[in-house]
Amino acid sequence: MSDAVADVLRKLAVVFTEFEGRLEQTPLIRKLSRGRFELADYQAFLIQLRQQVKDGALWMSRAASNIDEAHLELRSALMRHAVTEHRDFRLLEADYVATGGDVAAIQGGEKNIGSEALSAWMFHEASKPNPFGLLGAMWIIEGLGSIKAQEWGRQVKQTLALPDEAVRFLLYHGENDANHIEEFKTMLAMVLPDDAVAARIVKTAQVTARLYALQIEEIGA
Amino acid sequence: MGALRHGYITGTGVFLPGAPVGNDAMEDHLGRIAGRDSLFGKKALRWNGVESRHYAMAPDGSVAHTLAEMSANAVRAALDAAGLERRALSMLATAATQGDYLVPGHGSAVHAELGPGALEVASFQSVCGSSLMAAKAAWLSVRAGEHDVAAACAGEFSSRWFRPHFYEGTALVDAKGRVRAEADFLRFTLSDGAGAIVIEPKPRPGSLKIDFIDIVSLADRFDPCMWAGASVETRADMKTAWSHAGPRAAHEAGAVALLQDFELLKRVIRAWVGAYLQKVDEGRIVPAEVDHCLVHYSAKSLRAEIVSLLEDTAGMIPEEKWFSVLRERGNVGSASIWLMLDALVKSGRVRPGEKILCVVPESGRALVGFMMLEAV
Repeated sequence: MSDAVADVLRKLAVVFTEFEGRLEQTPLIRKLSRGRFELADYQAFLIQLRQQVKDGALWMSRAASNIDEAHLELRSALMRHAVTEHRDFRLLEADYVATGGDVAAIQGGEKNIGSEALSAWMFHEASKPNPFGLLGAMWIIEGLGSIKAQEWGRQVKQTLALPDEAVRFLLYHGENDANHIEEFKTMLAMVLPDDAVAARIVKTAQVTARLYALQIEEIGA
Repeated sequence: MGALRHGYITGTGVFLPGAPVGNDAMEDHLGRIAGRDSLFGKKALRWNGVESRHYAMAPDGSVAHTLAEMSANAVRAALDAAGLERRALSMLATAATQGDYLVPGHGSAVHAELGPGALEVASFQSVCGSSLMAAKAAWLSVRAGEHDVAAACAGEFSSRWFRPHFYEGTALVDAKGRVRAEADFLRFTLSDGAGAIVIEPKPRPGSLKIDFIDIVSLADRFDPCMWAGASVETRADMKTAWSHAGPRAAHEAGAVALLQDFELLKRVIRAWVGAYLQKVDEGRIVPAEVDHCLVHYSAKSLRAEIVSLLEDTAGMIPEEKWFSVLRERGNVGSASIWLMLDALVKSGRVRPGEKILCVVPESGRALVGFMMLEAV
């Protein structure tokens, strides 16, 4: 693995741990870790996640459409990724219904301030030519899937005494993410070494992390 | 004010009470809670990799050494290694998770044990990281020219926390006599002893120059992860704290024993790794330049994904450069780093010019300390 890839991965790892620290301090996650999480918290969480997960495959597709012919492998990787994930929001809807919620409520759910900002940012970045910085955004969002989702899922299930069917997205979505770091390293190697791209990937990760945390802060705030 | 001086570790010393106690004998030594074998003990020992440790309290509850005695003995050993007399010492910084007294500070107790001679003292109380807090105070006082011989010691008398009556009759033990994992795990992890270093402004052959001591608190992110003084459920709001509820009610609520939250620990470990990688990214720590790495965690206890993350980010220090005495001397909390450094120095394997990185993670409320030494 090249030094350029290791350097970016290290900076991204630091951004992710700071992001985790910020999430820990949000009212929603504090309630979860202190065993004070309520069903309404979980449902509000699912509603925001659904909007953001639905957008995820869309901005990824848009980003792919803006990648030039010199980076076809990366374009293919993003398209495959988008295909894999573009129906995942249905799983969130099913989880929501299994908690006793009305499917119309989650489908018609309104994005909160943080979700609006996050979504706008993603589509804005994805609309640029060769939007390689979005690899940083993927690091944050994939990291949530592979590192945080199961941890949160287990705590939610235990605190609210929910059946598996109501926590499937958090508990099982992460299982598919085990190989993502390998895939991610391959994608980084397609655009590195390049100092400007490296800096943009890290910056995009920082902004995405901040806006994602804002989305969580705004739930039950 | 003059220029800052360098500070060199010119002597190290340790004190371990009594004979080593092996894994087979440790539960007989500490005592069985409500007469039952531990549920989590074997798992804890597999995870921490400790095979032998020392206890200052005998199975019958009699005390061979106070923490102040152990700490003073370690300071004497460090002074001896530096070729100095007690009277040369003018500054003492002490570290402990919990001193012998609730009040006053542990530094005064260790001075009392060291005997006659004026001393400036500073008492640091935290968990493992208190060792580096004390070291930094001693080092800076030498650097600033306030003292020519300063010592930092760290010691633990954990076993007195682990007696069955700390748990029996409390909310930590259920009707069937099963003790909560938060309490049980630590009984099989921590043990007793003390270590010390002496710092001077001039090196002697074999001295270690202190390049830096950085301490990073991550307490803004997490609730307490290892603590005593509040129950598991109310640790963040302190309702059951001994200081609010009174000692008897606090004890019954399970708020007096030493506890650790292992779910939270996983998150805290990631935060430690993040703090470390930040040091690497800033160029403060250059992994390729490190010749000896001292961490009182076994590499095996780090989960595979953490090791692969360190490798992917060019942050891993190869396992053959890790040096530890955890297996044979146990995890002695704050004293561990001095136990390891003392053994490394006495092993004769440190060559002039080599760099020693000491990493001191403290789960307490998420803190990690780094110290870089360079052999003269």
